[in-house]
Amino acid sequence: MHPLERLINLVALLLEARRPLTFEDIRGVMPAYQQTDANSAKRMFERDKDVLREVGIPVELAPIDPWEVEQGYRITRDEYYLPEVAFTDEEVWALFVAAHAPGEGGEAEQAFQKLSTGTETNVLAAMAERTAAPGVDPSGPYLGAIADALARRRAIRFKYRSAQGKPSQREVDPYALVFRRGNWYLVGQDRGRGEARSYRLSRLLSAVKEVGAASPPPDGFDASTQLESGPWGLGKPAARARMAFSPKVAWWAIASTPGAQIVRRRRDGWVEVEVPASETESFVSWVLSFGADARLSSPRTTRDQLVNKLEALVGDG
Amino acid sequence: MAEPDARASGRAADRLRRLLVVVPYVVRHPGTPLPELSNLFGIRESDLVEDLNLLFVSGLPPYEPGDLIDVQIEEGRVWIGMAEYFSRPIRLTRSEALALYLKGKALLGSPGLEEAPALASALVKLEENLGADTLAGLAGKVAVGGGGHVAQALAAARRAVERRERLEIEYFTAAREELATRTIDPEHVFSAIGNWYVVAWDHLADAERLFRADRIRSVKQTGETFEPRGLPGPGRPLYTRSEHDTAVRLSLGPSARWVMDYYAVEGHRQRPGGWTEVTLPTKDLPWMAKLVLRLGGEAKVLSPAALATMVRQEARAALGLYRRRGPERARGSA
Repeated sequence: MHPLERLINLVALLLEARRPLTFEDIRGVMPAYQQTDANSAKRMFERDKDVLREVGIPVELAPIDPWEVEQGYRITRDEYYLPEVAFTDEEVWALFVAAHAPGEGGEAEQAFQKLSTGTETNVLAAMAERTAAPGVDPSGPYLGAIADALARRRAIRFKYRSAQGKPSQREVDPYALVFRRGNWYLVGQDRGRGEARSYRLSRLLSAVKEVGAASPPPDGFDASTQLESGPWGLGKPAARARMAFSPKVAWWAIASTPGAQIVRRRRDGWVEVEVPASETESFVSWVLSFGADARLSSPRTTRDQLVNKLEALVGDG
Repeated sequence: MAEPDARASGRAADRLRRLLVVVPYVVRHPGTPLPELSNLFGIRESDLVEDLNLLFVSGLPPYEPGDLIDVQIEEGRVWIGMAEYFSRPIRLTRSEALALYLKGKALLGSPGLEEAPALASALVKLEENLGADTLAGLAGKVAVGGGGHVAQALAAARRAVERRERLEIEYFTAAREELATRTIDPEHVFSAIGNWYVVAWDHLADAERLFRADRIRSVKQTGETFEPRGLPGPGRPLYTRSEHDTAVRLSLGPSARWVMDYYAVEGHRQRPGGWTEVTLPTKDLPWMAKLVLRLGGEAKVLSPAALATMVRQEARAALGLYRRRGPERARGSA
C-alpha cells in the first residue's frame, strides 16, 4: 500500500471517529497496520502521526472514557476545518496579489489556496489571466520568526548591525512590527540599552533566538505612531511650515508631500504652500534636497538652521 | 530500510498537503477540468492524476467499495464524491497564515495599490476568523504605511501592462527637474523600497527605462498595442551600471551612513571619527549634487571636482533666496 493512501485513510478515520481511538483500535480496522510484528506497525504509525502533524493536522491525545484510564488519538473537527470566512471577489483577488508577491512564496500561496476553496470557479479562472502586481521581497529571512515571537510574547536575541555599522548582540522585548518605506522594522524594548528602539530587519546579522517571556509594551503604546509619515520624520507632525517651490518642482513636491496645502500661486510661477513639519534635522534635510527650488520661510528657527547649513556648504562644499 | 521509507513519507507529506487542498476544491466545484486544476494549484496534470488514483482506493473501514472515496475522471474533468469529511479545507498552519498576512501587510505599505481597501478588509477577516492562536496575537501589533507617495498613474500602468497598450506619459525627471512627454511600452509594474516602478521601452530614448510610478503626472492611451520585448521584471536591480557612469567619491559622516543601504555603493573604507569613504557610480551628477545637499554637511565630495562645484553653486543659489527677499521673509513668518 502506498504511504499516501495509508495517510489519507488515517486522517479520514480519526476525523470520522466518534471517540478517541487507541493504536489497538486503529490497528483493528486499518489493514495497513496489520502486519505480524506489532512493534514495527507501531513505529510506522508513529511516523505517520508525525507526518500528519508536519502537514498541520491537529492529532491530539485524549482520554477514551470518563475514568481517563486509557488515552486515544483524535482529530477534533473544530480544530481541523478552516472556519468559513466569507471573502468578496475583490478580497480574494487582493489576497491572490499578496500571495504572489515575490519572496518565499510557497507558504503564502498554500494559505491562499485553502482560503479560496469556496470561491466561484470563474473568479479564480479570471485571476489566472490577470497579472499580479508583484514587488521586490522586503521580508528577509527572519520576518516569520520575529512575527511569531511577537504574537506569542517571547523575548528574542539576535546580532544586529546599527546604522553606524557596529555589530552587537541585542536582547529585545518585541512591541510591534512596522513596515515603512519598503522595509520591515521591529520596535521593542532593548534590554541592554534600557529604552525602546527600532531595528531594520535587513540589518539583522543572525537568526533570532527566543529567550523567555517578553515584557508587555508600556500603556498606550500604539504601533501606528511608529510610522514615518512624511518629511517631518516619525509620528505626527509637531508643526507646520510655510515654504515656496519653484515652478520646475512644484507639481512633484506638492504631490509627494502628504498634507501639503497650496496657499497661493505667485505670478512668477512659484507656489506657496503650508506643509506638516517638525523642528528636526530630517526636515531641514528634506528642504535642502530641493536646492534652490525651495524656500522655507517659517518656522524661523528651522529656517536659521537651514541657512547655517547652506553657508557651510558654500564655504567648504 | 528505514531510510527509503522516510524519504517516501517525506514525499507523501507534500502530496498529502496538496491533496487536502485540491480535494475540497473539487468537491465544491464538481467537474473542474484537469488543466484548470493544474493551473490553479501549480501541480503537473500527471502528478494530479497519480494522486487522484490513490485517493479512490482510500476511504473508511471496512474499505468496501461503498466506503471508498468516489473519484471520476472523464474527458479531462474531475468529480469527487463520498468524501464529505474532505469537503472543507484544512486550517492554515501558523506559518502559512503569517506568511500570507505579512506579505499582505507589506503590500499595503506600498501606497497607491488599487486593491488596498479590499486587501485591508481581507486581512482584518483573517485576523478575526482564523482562531485565537493563529493571527489574533498579532492584531494591532503590525503597522504599515507612510513615507511613500501615492501613485495616481499606477492603476493605468498596470492595466496597460496586462493589455500590452502603448502609453503616452508626462514624466518628471527628478535630477533634471523637467517634465517631458514620452511614449512607452510598459512590460512590468513592481514595488521596491516603498515605491512603484514601471519597466518599459522608452521610445524617446529608444532604450529600456525604469519609471517611478509616482512621478508619472499623466497617462494617455495611444490606442496602439505592442509586442513585449521580454524586459527583465521584478527582482531586477533598480540601478544598472553602465560605462557612461561617473564614479563619485564621497566621505559620509555617521548619520549619513544610510546612503550605503539605499544606493549602489561600490567600495567603502572606514575613516577615523566614524566617517566612511564610499564610491558611488552615477549617471546623473545633478542628482548626486541634490543628495549631497540633502546630507547637509554630513557628506563631503572627494571627487570629481565638478560635483563639488555643482554643490557649492546650488547652495549659493539657495542661499540667495534668503538674502534677496527681505519683505517676503517678514510675511512668511507672520
